[in-house]
Amino acid sequence: MQILCYPLRQGTFILLGLMTLALHAEVQIPAIKNSSLDPKIKGRILIEELNCTACHQEPTMMISSKKSPRLSEISSRLNPDYLKRFLIDPSGTKPGTLMPNMLNHLNDKERERVAESITHYLFSINKKAPFKITVPDSVAAEKGEELFHQVGCVACHSPRDENGKEIMKAKSVPLGPLENKYSHKGLIEFLRRPHSFRPSGRMPDLRLPQQDIEKISHYLLRKIKVPGNLGYMTWRGKVWEGLDGDVQKESAGQTKDFNLESLGKIHHQTAIKYSGFLKVTEMGTYTFYLELNGGNLSIGGKQLFSENPSNRRGTKKFKFSTNLDKGSSELELIYFHTGRAPKFIFEMEGPGMKKGPISSEMLTVHDQPIKVTEALEPDPILVASGKEHFEKLGCANCHDDLKGKINSYPEMTRLRPGNGCLGESKNTPRYDLHKDQEAMILSALPKNGLSALNDKERIQKTLVQFNCIACHDRAGLSSIDPDRNKYFKGSKPELGNQGRVPPPLTHVGAKLTNSWLTEVIMHGGRQRDYLNTRMPSYREKEVESLIELFEKNDSLEEMSYPKVTNIKESKNAGYQMIGTTGLSCIACHDFNGQRSGGAGALELIHVTKRLKKNWFHLYMRDPSRFHPTVIMPSYWPGGQAIRKEILNGKTDLQIEALWNYLSDGERAKNPKGLSRQSLTLRVADETVMCRGRGTAGYRGIGVGYPERISLAFDSEQMTLKQIWKGEFAHINHGSFHARGNERIQFPDGIPFHRLASMDDAWPYKGKTDYLFPQSHGYQYKGYYLNPEKRPTFMYEYGTIKVEDFFEDQLDKNGKAFFTRTVTFSTTAKQEPFFFRLGTGKEIKKNGKSWNVDRLSLNFHKDMKTVIREGESKDLLLPIHLNKGTTIIKIDYKW
Amino acid sequence: MLFIALIMSLAMPQEEAQAQELGKMWGTAEEEEKYYSITDIPIPPGIPMRPGSFEILPDKRLAVGTRRGDVYFISGAFDTPPNPTYHLYASGQDEIFGLSWRDGSLTITQFGEVTKLTDSDGDGTADRFDTLTNNWGYAEGHEFAFGSKHDLDGNIWVALGLSGSYHSRNIFRGWAVKVTPDGKMIPVCSGLRSPGGVGANKEGVMFCIESQGPWNGSCSLKHLKEGAFLGHPASYNWYQFAEGINAPTIEPQTNSRIAIEKKRVKELVPPVILFPYIKMGRSISGFRLNQTRGKFGPFENQLFFGDYTLSIIMRATTEKINGVWQGACYPFREGLSTGIMNVEFSPEGQLIAGGFTTNRQWPVRGETPFAIQRLDWTGKIPFEIKEINILKDGFMIHFTKEVDPDIASDAMNYSMTTYTHNYSAGYGSPEVDHTTPDINRATVSDDKMSVRLKINGIQEGHIHDFDLGKIKSLSDRTLLHSKAYYTVNEIPNK
Repeated sequence: MQILCYPLRQGTFILLGLMTLALHAEVQIPAIKNSSLDPKIKGRILIEELNCTACHQEPTMMISSKKSPRLSEISSRLNPDYLKRFLIDPSGTKPGTLMPNMLNHLNDKERERVAESITHYLFSINKKAPFKITVPDSVAAEKGEELFHQVGCVACHSPRDENGKEIMKAKSVPLGPLENKYSHKGLIEFLRRPHSFRPSGRMPDLRLPQQDIEKISHYLLRKIKVPGNLGYMTWRGKVWEGLDGDVQKESAGQTKDFNLESLGKIHHQTAIKYSGFLKVTEMGTYTFYLELNGGNLSIGGKQLFSENPSNRRGTKKFKFSTNLDKGSSELELIYFHTGRAPKFIFEMEGPGMKKGPISSEMLTVHDQPIKVTEALEPDPILVASGKEHFEKLGCANCHDDLKGKINSYPEMTRLRPGNGCLGESKNTPRYDLHKDQEAMILSALPKNGLSALNDKERIQKTLVQFNCIACHDRAGLSSIDPDRNKYFKGSKPELGNQGRVPPPLTHVGAKLTNSWLTEVIMHGGRQRDYLNTRMPSYREKEVESLIELFEKNDSLEEMSYPKVTNIKESKNAGYQMIGTTGLSCIACHDFNGQRSGGAGALELIHVTKRLKKNWFHLYMRDPSRFHPTVIMPSYWPGGQAIRKEILNGKTDLQIEALWNYLSDGERAKNPKGLSRQSLTLRVADETVMCRGRGTAGYRGIGVGYPERISLAFDSEQMTLKQIWKGEFAHINHGSFHARGNERIQFPDGIPFHRLASMDDAWPYKGKTDYLFPQSHGYQYKGYYLNPEKRPTFMYEYGTIKVEDFFEDQLDKNGKAFFTRTVTFSTTAKQEPFFFRLGTGKEIKKNGKSWNVDRLSLNFHKDMKTVIREGESKDLLLPIHLNKGTTIIKIDYKW
Repeated sequence: MLFIALIMSLAMPQEEAQAQELGKMWGTAEEEEKYYSITDIPIPPGIPMRPGSFEILPDKRLAVGTRRGDVYFISGAFDTPPNPTYHLYASGQDEIFGLSWRDGSLTITQFGEVTKLTDSDGDGTADRFDTLTNNWGYAEGHEFAFGSKHDLDGNIWVALGLSGSYHSRNIFRGWAVKVTPDGKMIPVCSGLRSPGGVGANKEGVMFCIESQGPWNGSCSLKHLKEGAFLGHPASYNWYQFAEGINAPTIEPQTNSRIAIEKKRVKELVPPVILFPYIKMGRSISGFRLNQTRGKFGPFENQLFFGDYTLSIIMRATTEKINGVWQGACYPFREGLSTGIMNVEFSPEGQLIAGGFTTNRQWPVRGETPFAIQRLDWTGKIPFEIKEINILKDGFMIHFTKEVDPDIASDAMNYSMTTYTHNYSAGYGSPEVDHTTPDINRATVSDDKMSVRLKINGIQEGHIHDFDLGKIKSLSDRTLLHSKAYYTVNEIPNK
């Protein structure tokens, strides 16, 4: 019976196996399935995605075909074992892959041999850093799991359950068993610049920060096992209260022993959990010695020691014994690095061993042997034969970055159903295609030249090829899979679906300006910070061509804009409407970087850069026309203005006024009611000031100017203390600190002084100079504001009255700089004195101006200066005042 | 978080901050509400309104100076219900704890200077920020500056807190100075520790609030007398810079009593009113004289104080005896919703009170992060101790309503203890040297509005703690607040 049954059973299994293979391993391009495209276009997409044109010439299709992965650097990224298995059985190794089986015509033994040689060949190229697996950090992996499911990975790839099992495999772009394929370093490298390895951008660049990429990699590769001595995990925080409270996991990995130094620098208030197996060669009683603040130890599942940590005391010593069997016993030790003078000593003694630290040899992370992938050392003979196979098999046709010999095959127009790759012949590449997929391909084969696609079809084809439809709908082309919908999350629940699902692309060409579309598509530009899903950046020509296609094909009715005769009045009306006394747009929308009170809806100051004016006019009249579920109300229901008192209640004038006001962008005057709670001070079209201790001493005054340069003035010593560019200041209860960058710091001390000799110290306020600088004749008198709110500082130096005014200006290249105007008034001729303009390591004359390190000072009138030598040099301007007014103008450029 | 540190320094050392309870409430809020109702003045979201000082403008708007350094003008704050509109008049200053309007300008006292703000172009916002003086030292934490209203000569008086609230490392820390309209800074007196509000009584004499701490057994009201030394010797080192003021020849001795030391250190001016700790506030802040011509009820010409920690309002009266100021304090209203930093009377005779809490450490009874509130007199007169004056042989107690003469004329119905504080370099003091004077006779006046107590055993330098819980009005009501505390520095000669 058995003899009879055996082959039968085996046959059944083989049959079943084939069926499962046929069911699950078919070439998987979910976007084709999900879209409502014509089957013929779907077929064409299949042809292009499978890169058929690499062998079967078709010039038009070739342009938009998916190029195969680049192979020249795989030796440092990929596991050689994986590559070999993949070559032997691509769809068995990575179900759903687009890679055909190229070795189908060989018997098992030959197949193995050829795969091996090609692996050797590919690993012989560019072998800078050998493939090496590393221990995954399970703590980073937890964060990675969150990121993977939120930043957009699962829009295309399958989400995973807590065990890492893919739960939507059939509807997703396959990844295969990544832990067998990549090294941590290799995967990071791939995620950092996917275009370099998969040049057609089907895997786009999410532009994630390096740290996030690392976490995702730790997550995807968390099943990698690496032999080692001891596993560890660390926590930081109030560890003395235990590990369930106010502590945070920090990292995990492997170490060689219980010596703290093996972990590098240990911060105070850290807990470390060591886990692994303790190996002894003799059965018997073993004694353990611990010196620590607190911790727990269990061996073989038995708790041997427990001492609660306390951050108020030092360490204690403990000694205890237990019987151990020969072989491995599981060990877990939690150590709390806290308290006074934290210290950790863990020693043991027992049969055949003296008291001492536990050596690495006695410790192992896994009690079963772990198979380690050895770095592959390419064998020259195999390399040579691998190269030969690579070219003979036609691999170089697709993987053309190796510049191998390209084989020629029949042109696309000459292909006929039933033959070649889709026929029965064993000698062609085998694709695991579903019969529907085959039918689509056959229907799309250009028999007598390729029929041209119209614009709509071109747009749809590209959106499907790049799986844009995984996130964006466009006029019913596709909708987000209901099972996937829940993975789209956002930080602003008040915004409803709009706050979590990326916007639809319907009418997008009528909505967005070309420049903004380019920014979004090509550079991953984003406005909707509240969406967790990132917009990736693309580089491909086809994607770029969408910009033009959208513009050409998306049209809405044209609005006529009203004629605005008084632009100032119009902008002012816009200003009124946006503020809380008007339509209160800022109740929901952010404005110039300042958060709205409520919903946190889209930033308003970029509106005119992003949107087309026609669309703005249409949208404002009826927002729900474009987003049926939008929470934004219409302020012009039925085209009628709600606020009749503004611009005579004329709808078109009001909407135009909003547009005009917002077109000032970052310079738009802050609307009424904009939150002033923020501790970050921003500058719009008016100068902003603050004062208090911080950047310029205790009596500092900060001034942020509209041209995005700022200064800090010390009103105690009446001196310019710092100038900088970019953001203005951060304030907090009587203090302010410069933000921004490119800071120039000026020295401590008064601005004017009569040096008795050139060796004298320049006076500044010392801690016990109680009467300084009044003792040098100074008195601060305040400031006044000009109509643009720029301050003029007033102070006295003896009987000289000084006015000190800074104005932000733009040079011809649009770079901002200060012009400083110092006005001296005196009723009598004064003893000459020096004005110290700057101190620096290097002071050089450069044409008409003086360079003090990075700062360039340019006098409007030619003036004689004195350089005082020293470790740091002073640039001094001698001042001779006669009765009356003397004005000095200097440009500060840096 | 400088301010937290300040608030901490107002009344207790840091390590004790969390351990201490806020103390019992008076338990009178419900009854108080019948006479003085509390109304919130709404603050729109987005306005960083942490009020530190108030002023009434000639156009009857409320001006508020804030911690952030803004000045808002609020119209509609005095409407019923309040219908406020906020207008930002000036910004970019440094923690404003003093606002005073005079001759078209608003003078503010901020950390580093006294500044005169003027709207010279009439656009509704300040464009001139003329510094009157910045000549006091400011180079450390806790160095707060509290400013008064203009006095009759147009001077602003500024009380300057110690460096780190214990030392005096920068010039005139621990002093009060007077800033003249032309910007001259005149040192007035030394010996302050962590002063709060500065203001005048009905005679125009300038006082300031002092906090419990070293050399201060409890919070108190101090007289900013020219040439005086007000108790804390850390600021002795600036006499050399104070022209025309003679330095005391000796320092006070620690572990003594004010009444003893004032005889040794002749410059020492004793506190005018001691506020027994917790019974009467813990961090008294700004105060203001009630001259609303009766619109705020029966307490005309009395001083009203806010307390930061307990979110309460208290009253006080002052009188000059033998050339020395002294007086009494009385509970008034509890149950405000935030830490009160300052108070102001509106033209309608409402008391504006506002302030904020800090989010760490220092406990505040009212938990709203910041608020402006208003006390409106309901028109009903509460039965209260209106004022206590000292006599050669006892006290005269004035009431707001007629007393029941049968009860009020029985000396047994009055109870009084006295106590004082240790005057020492240590922090604060328990109540010490308790005595119980004999109340020999109680005589009700003909109009039944006052009672004269003849007393044997009035103690110089002591708080006289009155309990009038048994006294009833003609309509048989007990007092809304039965407690009052009179600080005796001097007993009248005649």
